[in-house]
Amino acid sequence: MNNGMDSMIDMYLFETNSLLEQLENIMLEAEKAKAFSSEDIDEIFRIMHTIKGSSAMMEFDSISKIAHRVEDLFFIFRQNNTTNTFSEPMRKELFDLILKTNDFMCTEVAKIEQNEPITDNIDNFITDINTFIEKLNSNEASPAESAVVSKTDDKHNVPQNEASLQSIPATTSPYIIKILFDDGCGMEHLRAFMVKSSVAEAIGNIFKFYPEDVETNAETCNYIIDNGFFIFLDDENLVDSTVAAIKNSLNIASFEVMLNPALENTQKKGNESDAPSKEKAGSSVATSKSKANKGNNGSAASHQQTKQSIISVNLSKLDKLMAIVGEIVITESMVTSSPDLKGLKLDNFTKSARQLRKLTDELQDIAMSMRMVPISGVFNKMNRIVRDMGQSLNKDVRLTIIGENTELDKTIVDSINDPLIHIVRNSMDHGIEARVEDRIAAGKDPQGEVILEAKHTGSDIIITISDDGAGVDTEKVMEKAKRNGILTKPESEYTKKEALSLLLAAGFSTNEAVTEYSGRGVGMDVVKQNIEKVGGIVSIDSELGEGTCITLKIPLTLAIVDGMEIAVGKSTFTMPITNIRQSFKCEREDVILDSLGNEIIERMGNYYSIIRLHSLYNIETEITDIEDGILVWVEASDKSYCLFVDSFIGEQQVVVKPLPTYLNSFNIKNSGVAGCTILGDGNISIILDALSLHTAFMNSL
Amino acid sequence: MNMSNNFSEIMDEDFMVTEADDNVNKYLTFISAELTYGIPIENVVEIITNPSITPLPMVPTFVKGIINLRGQIVPIIDIREIMNKPVCEDTSILCVIILEIGSISIGILVDTVLQVINAPNKMSEPPSKNLDFISGMTNLSDGSIMFCLDCDALVSNK
Repeated sequence: MNNGMDSMIDMYLFETNSLLEQLENIMLEAEKAKAFSSEDIDEIFRIMHTIKGSSAMMEFDSISKIAHRVEDLFFIFRQNNTTNTFSEPMRKELFDLILKTNDFMCTEVAKIEQNEPITDNIDNFITDINTFIEKLNSNEASPAESAVVSKTDDKHNVPQNEASLQSIPATTSPYIIKILFDDGCGMEHLRAFMVKSSVAEAIGNIFKFYPEDVETNAETCNYIIDNGFFIFLDDENLVDSTVAAIKNSLNIASFEVMLNPALENTQKKGNESDAPSKEKAGSSVATSKSKANKGNNGSAASHQQTKQSIISVNLSKLDKLMAIVGEIVITESMVTSSPDLKGLKLDNFTKSARQLRKLTDELQDIAMSMRMVPISGVFNKMNRIVRDMGQSLNKDVRLTIIGENTELDKTIVDSINDPLIHIVRNSMDHGIEARVEDRIAAGKDPQGEVILEAKHTGSDIIITISDDGAGVDTEKVMEKAKRNGILTKPESEYTKKEALSLLLAAGFSTNEAVTEYSGRGVGMDVVKQNIEKVGGIVSIDSELGEGTCITLKIPLTLAIVDGMEIAVGKSTFTMPITNIRQSFKCEREDVILDSLGNEIIERMGNYYSIIRLHSLYNIETEITDIEDGILVWVEASDKSYCLFVDSFIGEQQVVVKPLPTYLNSFNIKNSGVAGCTILGDGNISIILDALSLHTAFMNSL
Repeated sequence: MNMSNNFSEIMDEDFMVTEADDNVNKYLTFISAELTYGIPIENVVEIITNPSITPLPMVPTFVKGIINLRGQIVPIIDIREIMNKPVCEDTSILCVIILEIGSISIGILVDTVLQVINAPNKMSEPPSKNLDFISGMTNLSDGSIMFCLDCDALVSNK
């Protein structure tokens, strides 16, 4: 029972979160376009409606109530079918209101996730929305629109009033469906609401139902038990799909489609009194309805399609799958390279082993791709930040997003969320000039631009965040760094790149004043830490007066790498294949010694230093003569060098295991070690990090 | 509460210790460089011998390396090096106690593992503050001295 509830909450959270995200995107899009399209309104209406329903079912009343009010608000828009007539301040108020509501719901949902009690005090919001609706009705509504609104009000009221007189309310709809639920199934009103929702999903919100307050009023329960739940339809064509939707609902005892007995009377009356006006009204209603219907059908259809082709899976299950696939990869190599097979001629075995290898490769690819999600979710959040900060800092900035469909591992996407927020905030706060005059004087577009770009390069994903703002003043950076005492060598020795990398040092913040958004001096070093946690690198480029560009280079996936096993003495190391350019033997004469006695070798017209792994890592080995061992030409970002090792053992796919956290305090990340892996024979091989190996070598000189 | 009392009574019979009350904790004792140390039993996971230790580059000498403990990577540190004693020459038998301190798994390399004993909760403070990894000391029934290893200090890396 408890389990069932938990999974329901999980589903609820998942659904609500994605709906809220969707809502925010629509709102931001619409704000850019300065108007809602009718699809937007339908979509928001649908979102609010779903949230209202599911929240009510989970008894999160406050969320449900707010969603209900917003739904009402959009109901009005839907009737008017436009928000274009809004005045500027009015529209701004509307967007702020909806986004605020969205935020509120997000925090409430987050609270539910954390098992905290949700806020009951929502009066402010309700009043805000109500005031807005009132304002809308009084100020904005043109006579025609107000007529529509009042008309709908009438429609709402009439059945209720009459219902108190007789059991079945009077209606203008020609078709009535009466639904009876199973005896004693309980919670009839919510079940009725569910039926109503599924009907709405099938045909759109173009029908009426009775009792209308099933969702909020538990007393309707008794009415439904006694008399049933009624759905009123205007169009014969809708009856079939409605019936299908009802059939699919749970706990339905019986249902029956009836023709409205009151209809004939009404028609007569209508004919007698004023035929032309009736016709006119009827046709206008019909057209607007058919329009809404069309939109709804479209969205319902696409909704159902996504439902069919996508399932949501708990991430921990995927993690487990990935772990098992990793073990299979290890076991596969354990079997195929088993020492017992040495010297045996096993044609069939080799053939099957090759097949197995191919299949495990495929399995691994698929398992990996299952964890891949587009980065757009994270990128789109930045829209909101740019918007909000732009408003509060009074800067006009547009956000350009490139490559939002780039896919990467779910864990990585999650871990770059905070860093990206930090960086975008920094760009907005420090990057883009505070005064438009400054931008114009510098010959730039008055509107600032922040560009978010993601792209793949082989095994890495590159994310750049660039702005065309004022850029970083390296002199100021140096000054500040000096004052904060984070310089590690004389000031004059710092290159521009080094000076910029000071921005990433702990306890550095160039902004003198701490603002709401940034400047607490924790920003960039947290960014660096978070990115490094997923094996990534942060670098900053900046030209004073032209802008700043921050690049995050992150490995696509952390789990499995193609590696070359390298032997040095008794130790085994793994170098990622992607870092290896070439391997070669060399003659003693090829080695050049520089003035300090460091070995250098010429390769294709360039000179590279030779790093002897055994002497760097202090490993005992018999192979110290350059002619006996092997040189591996390694390349990582802008560093390139030749690594001297004893021999190659072979190429292998290895599952990366992070080093124990205990070792982090020894600065092991800067000694050329990226992690470790367990080989087929159970021994550990250390995975080398080509870039930090170079750093370690430089430090050892 | 009742349960744990029962449990300690069973243990007492096994280890021939008569006292049994709340002020007594269980310690695993071991010898390193002729001194007896104790570790609170709740931190001990298991004892293994002769693991194949993969050395790590560029770490302090007391970090012997990492081992593969059924798929889990566990770092090994040498108690002798931590206590500034000469490194054990005899490497024929390596005795490693796997500890779990907080969420951190760590193995300590010792000379010999002795036994599980009961020792009073309240230990005497070591007289010198220079002993970084010792949280207290106490007399054992056989007259020897046991230094209690400070597990938290062990993993906090000063």
